[in-house]
Amino acid sequence: MTSTRRSILGAAALAAALAFSPAFAQAPTEIELFFPVPVDGQLARDMATMIKQFNETHPAIKATPVYTGSYDETLIKTRAAMKAGKPPAAAIMSANFLLDLKIEGEIQKLDDLIKTDGKSNDAFMGQFFPALYGNAVIDRSVYGVPFHNSTPILYINAEHFKEAGLDPENPPRTWDEFAAAAKKLTKREGDRVTRWGVAIPSQYDTGGWLLQALTYSNGGRWFNLDYAGEVYYDAPSTLGALTFWNDLVVKQKALQPGVQQGGAVTTAFLSGQASMMLNSTGSLTFVRNNAKFPFKVAFVPKNLQNQVPIGGASLVIPTGVDGERKRAAWTLINWMTSPEKSGWWSRATGYFAPNMRAYDLPDMRAFLEKNPDAKVAVDQLAYAKPWFATYKTVVVRKAIEDELQAVLSGKKQPKEALVAAQKTADEVMKPYVEQTALKLPTQ
Amino acid sequence: MANAVLTGEAELASDERRAPWRVNRQLLVALGLLAPSLVFLALFTYWPVLQVLWQAAHNQVRAGSPQVFVGFDNFTGLFADSAFRKAFANNLIYAFGTVIPSLVLALGFAMALAKSNRVNSLFRALFFLPVLVPLVAAASIFLFIFLPNVGLLDYYLGKLALSGPNWLGDPDIALYAIMGLTIWKNAGYYMLFFLAGLQAVPADAYEAAILDGAGPWQRLRYVTLPYLKPTIGFVLVVGLINVVTQVDHVFVLTKGGPSDSTNLLLFYVYQQAVENYDHGRAAAGTLVMLALLFAITFSSLRTLERSFGEREA
Repeated sequence: MTSTRRSILGAAALAAALAFSPAFAQAPTEIELFFPVPVDGQLARDMATMIKQFNETHPAIKATPVYTGSYDETLIKTRAAMKAGKPPAAAIMSANFLLDLKIEGEIQKLDDLIKTDGKSNDAFMGQFFPALYGNAVIDRSVYGVPFHNSTPILYINAEHFKEAGLDPENPPRTWDEFAAAAKKLTKREGDRVTRWGVAIPSQYDTGGWLLQALTYSNGGRWFNLDYAGEVYYDAPSTLGALTFWNDLVVKQKALQPGVQQGGAVTTAFLSGQASMMLNSTGSLTFVRNNAKFPFKVAFVPKNLQNQVPIGGASLVIPTGVDGERKRAAWTLINWMTSPEKSGWWSRATGYFAPNMRAYDLPDMRAFLEKNPDAKVAVDQLAYAKPWFATYKTVVVRKAIEDELQAVLSGKKQPKEALVAAQKTADEVMKPYVEQTALKLPTQ
Repeated sequence: MANAVLTGEAELASDERRAPWRVNRQLLVALGLLAPSLVFLALFTYWPVLQVLWQAAHNQVRAGSPQVFVGFDNFTGLFADSAFRKAFANNLIYAFGTVIPSLVLALGFAMALAKSNRVNSLFRALFFLPVLVPLVAAASIFLFIFLPNVGLLDYYLGKLALSGPNWLGDPDIALYAIMGLTIWKNAGYYMLFFLAGLQAVPADAYEAAILDGAGPWQRLRYVTLPYLKPTIGFVLVVGLINVVTQVDHVFVLTKGGPSDSTNLLLFYVYQQAVENYDHGRAAAGTLVMLALLFAITFSSLRTLERSFGEREA
């Protein structure tokens, strides 16, 4: 046992020595990619396959994929690596962290790399869906390249719909239809609910995202897309959205009170304990592979307009990466976001491919033919807008999520909750506002 | 084990008192022997502690700017933060609600299984099993148990025609659900210490008590507990340290929610450092926690030593 371990260590040391020895001056540029995957072992293996392919086709570069856990953990580990003076050459970051990273000076502009390739920023971004620009382009500079993206979407159990006398071919389009269907689909035995009409995740991160989706559907703006120090929590459009969500609990009694975790919501839907769910398109492949009943997906129901925020992640190059490593990272980033790879990753995960040309490829066409649900997700992109991002995004988001959770638990009324959320958020953003929008001439 | 270490130290201390001129040589030998672990402690414990001290007095004045000296601003900001006060209050409830029940349970298990026989060994192993499961894994299991409607807990409640609450999603219940997991996880561990402690209770003390006509409660109160005093003190320290240093389950189950109702001090510190990029406040929070840990450990160890002293006297 010990001897095997020792020999492995020895071999590793030897390999390392060989890799770094000057005798191999032609050694490929070594870069590492920090990547998160949503909880699924298969995706980490898919990523390894993808990078292996890259290394085989690019002998001058040796890329190493480093699995760094969730989006949050990837952020922590990238920051730790930067503090230690060894930033990864590239990292896949949650798309709404980019603004914060830019404000803190932790990621690089990619403009010069795009220019070297002989493209303008607009031409470069032009290959991606327009909904994705807002989270990648900051102050007219490109800071990230969209890698995989999602939107919230409505999932319905077609069997339950038929059983309740609803038409599964016509899923609810408006809040009216949505609330009525949810009420009709809820089943009770005495006081005990045996089946909920709808399930909506409300834990941190997803809760804020879905409330943003409902606010967008209600004509709202949620946050200032052009300025990192403003959110519109205490606004009529947000109040309408939060009240509607709360009414599903207290009026229609079709949604379980309290906070629901994303995993619990998917489980409830798959086990038939909930007839509909609002969730990410990122769950689509998982639901497709595990649903034992016919299901359908549809746009998020609207009150005033069809509009949803995007989600997902972008590729970034941290500050401190330069020279050969930076160019190698750029090669990797472009390869990973090319139509072929983008499409392949999309089919493996259920996320949509940010590169529009991916959908012109025969593989993708055949896939959409076979899986019309995936097409709905892509179609909804025409109505998608950027994801919530401000100064200190996570904390500002938590300000409203804490209040959302209090409302869903019956602790607060929507209006007072939103006033409190606005106050907390303003407090968090105050230092930034004071050094930007409120920094005025003193003379 | 703790017994041996502590009495060993006591002997050393009395030696020193008797022969002060030997202290220097002894000190050198001691330092030499301690050097290997001291180096690592210095590198991985004391140096980071110093860094935390430095960080607690520094912060960024504006985003992206360097760290500057801010004095006690981080601490005033910390105590003014309602989320910190909430985490502090939660941690107090959590401490009382987990340490005392797990102590009582552990003592109960240990007394029931004190006699060594095959059945008891099996039960000891069963009660000890949760200790072997890493906290993160245990939390992932409990995620299933607590799942509303379909989880194990609700499944059995459903058989009784009861509907369970939203275990992790109701701000009034979530902290207690997490406390339940903690008790389940720790009681078996503490049982081990009590099992060891019970071996040290002399059989003739019980015999004498029985001859004097003491009932089972009286025997527990006047024979078992006094003998177990040092063990209780020790387990109390271990338990209180666990309460402050373990938040893996909070991370997995609730991330401090709903509405901060399960936020604990260490998780709050994590949020400040990672989500809020406020390293100054995170460091200040860490120091408050460290101060608490020091106070707990110091006072408990003093009590511990005193109770050892009582027994020897």
